[in-house]
Amino acid sequence: MDRSINLRVQSLFMSPAALVAVGIVLPPLCYVLFTSFQGDAGPLSAYIAILESNLFRQTLTTTLVVASLSSVLSLVLGYIVALHLAKQSPNRRTALMFLILLPFWTSILVKCFAFTIILGRYGIINNLLRWASGIDVQLPLVLNRVGLLVGMTNFLVPLVVLPVLASLLAIDSALYRAASVMGAKPARIFWTVTVPLSVPGVVAGLLSVFVMSLGAFVIPALLGGPKDQMLSNLVDFYNREVLDWPKASSISVILLILASIFIVPMALWRRRRI
Amino acid sequence: MVNSVLDPVSQRYSFIGSSLATVVYVFLLAPVAVTIPMAFGPTNALEFPPSTYSLDLFRILFTSDSWLLPIYTSLKVAVFSTAAALFVGVPSAYWISRHEFLGKLFILGTLLSPLVIPTIVSGLGIYFYFSYIGIGGTTLSLVLGHLMVTLPFVMLMIIAGVQKLDRNLEFGAELMGASPIHMFLTVVLPQLVPSLISAAFFAFLLSFDEVIISWFLAGSDTVTLPVKMYNDLSWEVSPVIAAVSALLTALSVLACIVTIGLRKSTGEDVS
Repeated sequence: MDRSINLRVQSLFMSPAALVAVGIVLPPLCYVLFTSFQGDAGPLSAYIAILESNLFRQTLTTTLVVASLSSVLSLVLGYIVALHLAKQSPNRRTALMFLILLPFWTSILVKCFAFTIILGRYGIINNLLRWASGIDVQLPLVLNRVGLLVGMTNFLVPLVVLPVLASLLAIDSALYRAASVMGAKPARIFWTVTVPLSVPGVVAGLLSVFVMSLGAFVIPALLGGPKDQMLSNLVDFYNREVLDWPKASSISVILLILASIFIVPMALWRRRRI
Repeated sequence: MVNSVLDPVSQRYSFIGSSLATVVYVFLLAPVAVTIPMAFGPTNALEFPPSTYSLDLFRILFTSDSWLLPIYTSLKVAVFSTAAALFVGVPSAYWISRHEFLGKLFILGTLLSPLVIPTIVSGLGIYFYFSYIGIGGTTLSLVLGHLMVTLPFVMLMIIAGVQKLDRNLEFGAELMGASPIHMFLTVVLPQLVPSLISAAFFAFLLSFDEVIISWFLAGSDTVTLPVKMYNDLSWEVSPVIAAVSALLTALSVLACIVTIGLRKSTGEDVS
């Protein structure tokens, strides 16, 4: 009897969540998978057409290159900030966290707008260079690969800082004292104590940032050029311009598979740490 | 690092470290810093720094329907989807962190999956699904779509909050004869207030800033503010965007203050 009461209470607590899982979250994925097999010439025709198209191959390459470059760039910048934050006193750290949290909370559209102002042909950087050099400088910094990478990195850095900072703060400070008592120079301490012990945060940060940048949509559309469009933009293109839903879906499935290659180790890594 | 304050070598390293970090902070904050002066600039040109200062852009923003309607839609969707996410997420997150049951991993895994699945995939799928069941383009479809992306964050934050609570209080209340629901409402929820506030705030902002799902679901009369901004930025950038950006920045400053304030009051980590 106790058990049946428990089950009744459980259904009260859990049924809205179960309903959302089965009624809202799962069906879209099933629809994408189903539609991807609805090509004109047989179930796999959309996949074959996509895999054979040059546009898809170029976009796939761009996606992988941009995602890797922006993840590594954001890791380097994020590591610098995390190191700096880890060395501060707790009160100062809370104050400085504001500088990470504000960009974290800022709308991606606001950032894209701001970067068109900063990087544009008559933007802040070109104006400064023109003023400093006296020549009519018009560096193309936006609507190309540079603008895309700047925007992506700016968006990703706060996401790297949090996990890296957590693992830096977990390092026992006695290790630093021991190393320096034994005569290790700061550079040696950095490479033999700090870096190896921050690996968990680095791996977690890098994986999540990479997966996130694989699916980038707004930044390539607004800061990249026609040659810098990524897989998400291609999905939107086939859905909105070409109106070819099987192809849009098959690209989505391929993107999902690509992301899963990195999601699965990420999930396992998290579980191991818990 | 602690004992080597006087060592000139490590002092130099720490100076290099702080300078590099300052450069990164400037890079991170530059976009935010640029939008504020732009918002007070003239209505006919996008230039930095603005040649003249006025409130004209805000006046245009608050008098034209083409901006007010999307703001209204976004507010409406954000309020309803936040309420829905709390209604669905809080009881289930509590139950999930306190009990083992059949299907727990399946439900939790499914609900958290939008965190890692590229949003374009969920967006395309939910567009097919909602068109098929005939609610495409409605406010309801936006609320449900936003519920899908905000729920995982709400659940993670509430699960983290519940794990910090003392379980003995809950046992005590049940021993004294409180029904599970009564106990949840009078013992668990009051202790969860800081987590509830930050989860609600997070969900609201996430929904208010959401672009991709809305881009697929918005109909011609349910355009949200981010969709309107995305459209504007893709075609011709109007200076009013600067005023919108400044308002959104003010909202994110508020979010930071709330996050840091709650962190101080509960002693928990921001992340």
